Amino acid sequence: MMLIANAPYDDAGHEESGHPERPDRMSAARGALDDLHLAEDLREVGPYLASRSELMRVHAGTYLDELGAFCYAGGGDIDVDTYATYDSWLIAQNAAGAGLAVIGELERLQDGVGFVATRPPGHHALRDRGMGFCLLNNIAIAAASLTAKGERVLIVDWDVHHGNGTQSIFWDNPDVLYVSTHQSPLFPGSGAPYEIGGMKALGRTINIPLPAGATGDVLRRGLAEIATPVIDDFAPTWVLVSAGFDSHRDDPMADLALTSGDFALLGRSVAQFAPRRGRLAFFLEGGYNLGALRTSVAATLASALDESIEFERPSSGGPGMTTIDSTLEERSVALRIAHEAAAKGDYS
Amino acid sequence: MKTLETIAVGFDDSPDSRAAVRWAFSLASRVEANVVIVHAVGLMDRFEGRDDAPAIEESLHRLCDDCDFERERVRVHISNGDACSVLLRAVDDPIAADLLVVGSRGQGKHPGLLLGSTSLELAEHASVPVVIVPTL
Ligand SMILES: [Zn+2]
Repeated sequence: MMLIANAPYDDAGHEESGHPERPDRMSAARGALDDLHLAEDLREVGPYLASRSELMRVHAGTYLDELGAFCYAGGGDIDVDTYATYDSWLIAQNAAGAGLAVIGELERLQDGVGFVATRPPGHHALRDRGMGFCLLNNIAIAAASLTAKGERVLIVDWDVHHGNGTQSIFWDNPDVLYVSTHQSPLFPGSGAPYEIGGMKALGRTINIPLPAGATGDVLRRGLAEIATPVIDDFAPTWVLVSAGFDSHRDDPMADLALTSGDFALLGRSVAQFAPRRGRLAFFLEGGYNLGALRTSVAATLASALDESIEFERPSSGGPGMTTIDSTLEERSVALRIAHEAAAKGDYS
Repeated sequence: MKTLETIAVGFDDSPDSRAAVRWAFSLASRVEANVVIVHAVGLMDRFEGRDDAPAIEESLHRLCDDCDFERERVRVHISNGDACSVLLRAVDDPIAADLLVVGSRGQGKHPGLLLGSTSLELAEHASVPVVIVPTL
């Protein structure tokens, strides 16, 4: 199957000395495409800068104005984690636009798998605030472009951190089902099982927190038992993936124990959620160990494309099976309480 | 009006946040409230393997001594997240803060910058009163 990727864009200007969210990450992700040896089965689209109206489906106009002005004034630190430079505004608009370009090409071809390799990442970015290394919420901007056309979008987020920005943007939107697996406790501190969506979208947010050391078998059980029945019921017309690879065991940001083999299995699982060809796209989020990032991107894409490459063995035997049990329980209690409150008209 | 039982203060050991703690102590003394010092652990803390807890404890001891505030009435709450979300969550159980107090700028913040301003974000989203303490 064909891989539709965004064309490279010069992101060297979005950099801060010693910061882990750095331009080398993009070289590692692009290196993974080389490892796949796709030849004419790789098609690149763009570059494309997202327009203001496309960004405003997700972000407040005042935030976009401030961010643009802040960058053009020379940039600096937005918070203790998140920086912007003079070049960041254009680079962030490209990161957001890349997803739109890839989706446009998938729609045109009605075939292929999308891969959006950009930085900065996006899933922590809120409607009116950048945080957690993220400036614009790239995957949310892409999902919102699809829901605007009546599509039903599943977002699977396997970055090691909870995608608080994406969750909050679609909190009350019944056309988006957000599923996150993440280490907990960990930044940003959200993503509890009882966070299930707003009144208009009860159950459309699924959080599967995992303890430090959790292995692929635990994550797979969580997806199978907690998320899959809801996904089947939701019947998405598109599947977008916040593919963060900081959940790899070698990543310096956290302590999950996934291997590239686990990402290969995940790549296959999410492909099965897509209703047909040309309806699946991966968006790069975190991943700060360059070697692990490269092999994990390659493993994910290879299995989604049905190509064979070598990767590490899937992991198993780590802690977290009891966490899955308690998550199932907590979620069903939260749903019951919310539905009762909704029936009485006092849930928000 | 509900009595003021718990005051949560955002603290990153910056001069601004120390001013906020001093102000919270003086209010807490007058209304016999408890104080919870809230410190956010971000992505970079984790990446750089920093453990801020000992420095925060030490700084807090000094502030208690300076302000003649009983150490037993102060708790430290260290939590993962950005400063704004961590403080907003302090309104919920188990902290259940009735009032949030912050300095006008956090660590390394540019004066006058709206973007990423914890105090302004809090004022917009908090469900309890927010006090922004200026640094003199
Ligand atoms: Zn991450």
